Parts: sequence; C-alpha cells; structure tokens
Amino acid sequence: MPNVSADDLRVRLGRALPGVVQEVYPLKVAPPPAQGHAPAAFVTGDTLVDAARVVDAALYLRDVLGYAYLSDICVVDYLTDGIFEVVYRFYNVEGGPSLALKVRVPRENPVVPSLTPDWPGANFHEREAFDLYGITFVGHPYLHRIYMWDEFEGFPMRKDFPKQGDKYIGEDE
Amino acid sequence: MTTETQHGSVIVMDRRRGKLRAGQGLLQGLRVVWDHWAGSFRKNDNFSKIHGTFTVEYPEERLPMPQAYRNMPVLLFDDESGHELCTGCYQCQRICPPQVIHITQAKDPVTGKMVPAATEFIIEYDACMSCGFCAEVCPFDSIKMDHVYELSTANRAALTMRKAQLNRSISYYTGIAPGLWAEVQAGAMKKLQGSIKRRPDVIGLAASLTEKIKARRLELAAAAAAAPAAAAVSAPAAPAAPAAKLTPEEKAAKLAAMKAANANKGAAPAPAEAPVALSPADAKAAKLAAIKAANANKGAAPAPAEAPVALSPADAKAAKLAAIKAANAAKQAEAAPVSVETAVATAPLDAKAARLAAIKAANAAKLAAEQGNNE
Amino acid sequence: MLKTEELQINIGPQHPSTHGVFRMLVTVDGETVTDLKPVFGYLHRNHEQIAEVNTYLQNMPYTDRLDYFNAMANNHAYAMAVEKLVGIEVPERAEYIRVLMVELTRILNHAGALGFLINDMGAWQTQLAFGMREREKILDLFESVSGARLMCNYFRFGGVARDLTADFMPRLKDLLVAMPAFIDEMERLLRENEILLQRSEGIGILPKDLALAYSVTGPVLRGSGVAYDIRRAEPYSIYDRLDFDVPVGSVGDVYDRILVRIEEMRQSKRIIEQVIAQLPDAQGGHINPKARQNVRPPVGDVYARVETPKGELGFYLVSDGSSRPYRYKVRAPSFINLTPLGDMCRGYKVADMVVILGSIDIVMGEVDR
Repeated sequence: MPNVSADDLRVRLGRALPGVVQEVYPLKVAPPPAQGHAPAAFVTGDTLVDAARVVDAALYLRDVLGYAYLSDICVVDYLTDGIFEVVYRFYNVEGGPSLALKVRVPRENPVVPSLTPDWPGANFHEREAFDLYGITFVGHPYLHRIYMWDEFEGFPMRKDFPKQGDKYIGEDE
Repeated sequence: MTTETQHGSVIVMDRRRGKLRAGQGLLQGLRVVWDHWAGSFRKNDNFSKIHGTFTVEYPEERLPMPQAYRNMPVLLFDDESGHELCTGCYQCQRICPPQVIHITQAKDPVTGKMVPAATEFIIEYDACMSCGFCAEVCPFDSIKMDHVYELSTANRAALTMRKAQLNRSISYYTGIAPGLWAEVQAGAMKKLQGSIKRRPDVIGLAASLTEKIKARRLELAAAAAAAPAAAAVSAPAAPAAPAAKLTPEEKAAKLAAMKAANANKGAAPAPAEAPVALSPADAKAAKLAAIKAANANKGAAPAPAEAPVALSPADAKAAKLAAIKAANAAKQAEAAPVSVETAVATAPLDAKAARLAAIKAANAAKLAAEQGNNE
Repeated sequence: MLKTEELQINIGPQHPSTHGVFRMLVTVDGETVTDLKPVFGYLHRNHEQIAEVNTYLQNMPYTDRLDYFNAMANNHAYAMAVEKLVGIEVPERAEYIRVLMVELTRILNHAGALGFLINDMGAWQTQLAFGMREREKILDLFESVSGARLMCNYFRFGGVARDLTADFMPRLKDLLVAMPAFIDEMERLLRENEILLQRSEGIGILPKDLALAYSVTGPVLRGSGVAYDIRRAEPYSIYDRLDFDVPVGSVGDVYDRILVRIEEMRQSKRIIEQVIAQLPDAQGGHINPKARQNVRPPVGDVYARVETPKGELGFYLVSDGSSRPYRYKVRAPSFINLTPLGDMCRGYKVADMVVILGSIDIVMGEVDR
C-alpha cells in the first residue's frame, strides 16, 4: 500500500510547486488558563499550504501522487490564534494512510479558492464550512447555506457565537 | 488496492440472469411470499427459523426484558433498615450528558455539616436519554436503570421526578435484574452501613416508610432521655474543655503527657525506683504527688488523667520545664544512649509526679508571694 | 408543438419516500428530471457544538444518534478516535466483541436498507417485513448485551461496556443458522424479479471516475466498480486477520448496489463465524482495566474512520489538553454520498429519482447531525 509521509510530501511539493508549502508555526489552541501552566502548543505534522494555491496542491496530490479520494474538508476555529484552519484530507485509492493539507486564513477575512470546480466532491464540504464558519470559497458554483435557513444571520460553529441569548435562542434555553 | 490479498479477494458481482424464461422471476418471488404466508400459521419460537409468526399480543402479553435493559433511572433503598443508598455525592449529576439530574445533599440541622444522604433528587424524565451512565458511575450502587417503558402522559410537568417518586426498594430491583444486583450487593451493603453510621436523626430514611421513621424517632428520643442520666455519672471534667482551643504550651504539655501514657501502655511496669537523679526535695514531693494521683485515679471515673485541665501559661511552662529536667536527668543517669522520649518513658510516673510537683511548687510560690505582699 | 415549460416541484421534507426529513427541489420537464437540488438541515441538532461542551465520555451516547440505524458503528468510530488521541490500547477480546457487533450491524442495516429500497419501488413492505424480522433478532441480541436496541452506547474507551452474557452465543449461533436461508430467500425474491430489473437496471448510473471524484464511499462506490473498502485499505481493529471478500459492481446502477449489499451480508456472516471461532482464544477482558473513561488527551488532532454499512464514517478531533474536545467533526457518509444525487438523477423519471435516493441509503441523523 502506498504510504507517502508528510515530510516526503513537503519535499515533493516544494520541488514541483515552489512557494506553496509554508513553514508550520505552533498554535496556542486554547486561551491560557487562569491558574497553572498553559498546555503545550500544537505543532502539526501535516503540510501547511498557502491558501491561494491550495487547488494546485490538491490537484498535484490527485494527478501525480494518485491520492484521488478526498475524504474530508474540516474547519477548525482557533480563536486565540486568530485563524481558521481548513484541513483537506486525501487518501490513495490503493489504500494506506491519509495525507492532509492544512490552510490557515485570518478570522477577519477568511477567503479560500474553491476546490469544487475541479473536484466535485468538495461541494457539500465547502458549503458546510461557509454555513457554519463563514469562510468564502471563491469559485464555488452554489455557495449557499446548507444546514441553516437562508436568512439566518451569523455563523453558528464559530467560537464567539453565543451559545445562549442571541436573537434566535432566548435567554432561558 | 490489490485484487488478491491473503485474506480475501475482490469479487465482481455477477449480473447474468439465470436460465429463466420471462415471468419466471416473478413466480419465484411469489413462491417466497407464499412460503412465508403458509408458514405464518405456526409459531416461530427459535432464532434459527425464518418462517412463522412471533407476534406478541401486546398489551395482553408482555415480553420479559433482559436484565441489562435500561430505561429511566430509579433510586434504591434498603428494605430492612429503610435507608436510601444515595449519599448525594454528585457523581451522577456530573456525568449526566443532558444534565437532567439535580441533587441537594443533606445537611445536619444541628452542626451544619454535610451528611451522606440526599434531601432532594430530581431527574427530568422527559429529557433523560437513558444512556445508563449514572448507574455505571455511581460508587454506592444507589441509582439503577429501571425497565419501565410505559411512561406516556399528557402532563409534561409530571415527568419531572422527585426523590419520593424515584425511590424503589432493593427487592424491586432484584425482581427485575437479579444477576446485576448480586454482583454488587456485598459492596453496596457495606457502604450503606458506613453511611447509616454517619446519618444523624432520621436523615436518609426513605420518606415513604412512615412507620420506620416513627420508630426511629422514638428510638432516638429514648436514647436522648437515657443520655443525661449517664452523663451525670461520668467524671465532672470541664465539659467545654475538649472543645476549647489549647495554647501552644498546653499543647506541648498534653503531648508530653500523652507520650508518657502511650509508653506506659506498652512498656514494662514502670519501675518507680528508676535511678533518676532528682533533687531530694523534688523526689519526695513527686512521691507524694504520685500517691495522691493514684488515690484519685482509683475513685474517679475514667476521665483522662492527662485531661487538659486549664493550666495557666506559667504553670504549663513550669510543668514542661520539670518534665524536660526529669528527662535530662534520666539521660545523664543512664549512660546508655536513650532518647528523651524513652527516658521520659522509663520514668513515667516520675515525670507525671514531677509535673504535679512543679504545679504545686508554682502554686505554693504564688501563694507565698501573695501572702508576702499582704504582709 | 405544444409549448411546454419546466416545472420546479418540491419533494419533501414531509414525504414517506425521502428517508427522513429531506427535501429535493426537482426541476422537471414533463416527467423527466432535468435538475435536482437536495435541501436538508431539517434535522440539524448542532451535534458538533454540543460535543464541544460535553466531555469525551459524555459524547458517547450522542454518537449513537448520528446514524441512528447503526448505533454500534458510530460508537466504534468515536471510540477509535479517542483511543488514538490518548493512546489507549484495546484488549484482543474487546476487539473481537467490537467486530462482532459492527458486523451484526452491517447485516441489519442492509436488511433494512434493501427493504426500504424495495418499498420505494412500490413493492410495499414485503421484503421490508422479512428484513425487519431478522433485524428484530439482532436487536434482541443487542438489547441483552448493551441494554438498548438502537441507542446502544456500548463502546467505551479501551473496550466495551459489558462482556457478553451467557445466553448471547447460543442465540447468535441460532441466528447464523437462519442467516443463509434469509439471504438466499432475499436473492430469490429480488435477483431475477422482472419488475425489479426494469426499475433498477440502468437506473442512476454513476460511472467509476465520477464516483471517485464525488468522494462517495460504501456500497455506492463499490457498486460503481471501485474496490475501496476501509477494512482492506487501511485495516483497523482486527480486520487484518479475518477472511472476507469485497464485492464490487460493474455498471454502477441501482441494480449493482442491490447486488453488492446482498453479497456484503454474506461476507458479514462469514466474518461473524470467524469471530465466533476465534473469540474463546482471545486474550484480555472486555475492556482495558487501566483505561480511564474521563480522558484528558494531550494537545493534538486525530482522524479515525471506520467502514460503516453506509460508507466512511470519520471523526476528526482536536484536543486542547482539557477534558472537552476543542473541535469535533463528523465526516458522515450519507452527507457526502448525497453530492452526486443531482447528476445521478438527471435524465431519469421522477419515479426513478425516488429509487435512486433509496439506493444511496441515507439516514438524516447523519446528513444533518
């Protein structure tokens, strides 16, 4: 079973698409606690990719390395670090463990080019990310809300979305 | 993915139709349905059969639920003693995923300390997901999963269950899940005994057992009536003394006395003739004091002789000093390396006597001083 | 020529054939579907945010409610994810029990899914009743061991909640005696049936390359000819010791998916027989005694996936070092398998559209979370 490691991927991407791979920097994840020491910072082992070139990187994985199965696009809201991290997870059709590409965009203006025109499987994933986190995927053919109703205001899964007491949920629920 | 692995292969489904004429497939299917219909007149009583009915004529007939079946939690109380097993430890409240358990732990009305029982225990049955975590995590095996499933009601508020509605006797639980109770019975009853000991008054008795509560109240009243009589017989030790705080010097004196008492218990009969080089006057006074103390001990109630009778700081310091002097003297007298404690231990009576002598000396000195002033 | 117009009709969310609260905006030209937009979110319960508020153990009963048809499989994926994050080992006997439960779930899911598909085709509840009967037997087994029929809450971190009861094995062996008869009977009823062939052959074709591009998984992907089964591609638990075949289709239509599901039931039965044979020799107990249930994983992320009867169910967990997940994402198979629905239905009739939706086998608890 093919097993391209993350380091291997960084080397190959670096050679094939220069400027795409970025240096991984640690994330604080949670705000430091009031007492006691803060937990260790989160340094990911996966490949960090420049947001503007994620489509090229994904297509490289599919066409050159054979990782043609896009399993999951997940968004994580790192409020303390001020970024959204979008995790793209690919698997090889022959089997084996996954390769993940991570993209970090600032929370104030989260814009990522859409993978959907080249890879139709990303359609619902990106719509969900838009609906729940508010990330705009440029080039998506139908970027509308998927879970919440169309007139809903706000992005529910963000860490700063109130769990109680906003205009949709009353104070006492 | 390779087509052939050592554990199996990929098989491509065969779409080829069998050698059936048109229409035969339908007839084959009808045959299957006919077999089931014909078989439905017999009862299916075994998992290995696929024909036959196994309809249960509910509600006239009800299937017995397996022991592990869980639907809605209940609280257990012991039939014999009437005590609830719940101690109000909040473990189930903490683990409940939809947070439908609300507990109020019991408090002793007299002292204000927490008692291992629960005064109120609310479970919102309408939101409970019957996951069984509360029963899994309870350290006292007091909350268990019931088997009721006929809970429909038109009154939503009636589904907020309070402790009185949640209480079930242990015999009820052994009726529905005997094996599960047998596993935990020993441990649970032992913990219950421990809880009962720490529950004052009628706290912890199931509220529905009114006779038991009445009986217990009578019991306690009788015990309270008998108690004052017993108290009069006991030694007139200062009743407030045990609760009063001791000054550091008093504490030190008490500690020295306790050490002496402990050593006294284990050591050989203390040789009153231990070669302790006390000054002649002190030795004589010590002997006198010892005799007096022995006489007092014979007659009085077993009040601790080392009871911290309120010593004034000066007296206490004097007592401590006398004790240390005695210990040092003992150490010097015996060349063998003996610790201060054992030195004190070898002459316990002497140490006590020495302390008494010190007290007497101090009192005498005070008296003399007063008299001297008066004169 | 009469002037015709395309009509946009709304199918659902309240509809007996939409497998839950699911709405389809269908644009039809006469009876032929020209476009289809799935609309869902009617069962959205914000499961992922609830999970951020609960501790890791408190999330276990909520995972039951994702794909409420196959509770054991959801539990398995979540337990695997947390075990990978914390580093908990699962004893051998617990792994065997887990595989047993998951394969029983596969049988009962396919029995029910095929029954509902035949119902969608208009054959009412004939096959569904036969399938439900076998489901009832398996659900009785689940009830005796975990305490509930559907919301099992049986898996814990490091094993399973309780060991098998004494009456479990005899009943399971009886059930396996009945299983070949049930599957063969289902094949006799369905495989050569002319009406079924007319309703399913050549309907809803999803070609091989499109299937992969759409990220579909499970019987839909295998029906299209791609032999990707996570139990073989990235073996987890003890699947690398068990013999079983992976059925694939050739054309990628509804008929292929029916055949693949029937064959998967046979393979599941084969796996269960092997588990029963190997279980007495398995080491360990039903749970790792050193595993704490109130876990506090180190900072990091993990993605764990299993092959549920509907496809790939994955959990992506990010931990911030506390006892609650920082991010909890469910990669639901039914949700992603709905992506090609529009393309699969284009050009077919409205009646075919219902059949195609039934062949994807969705459950709204997963789709909406």
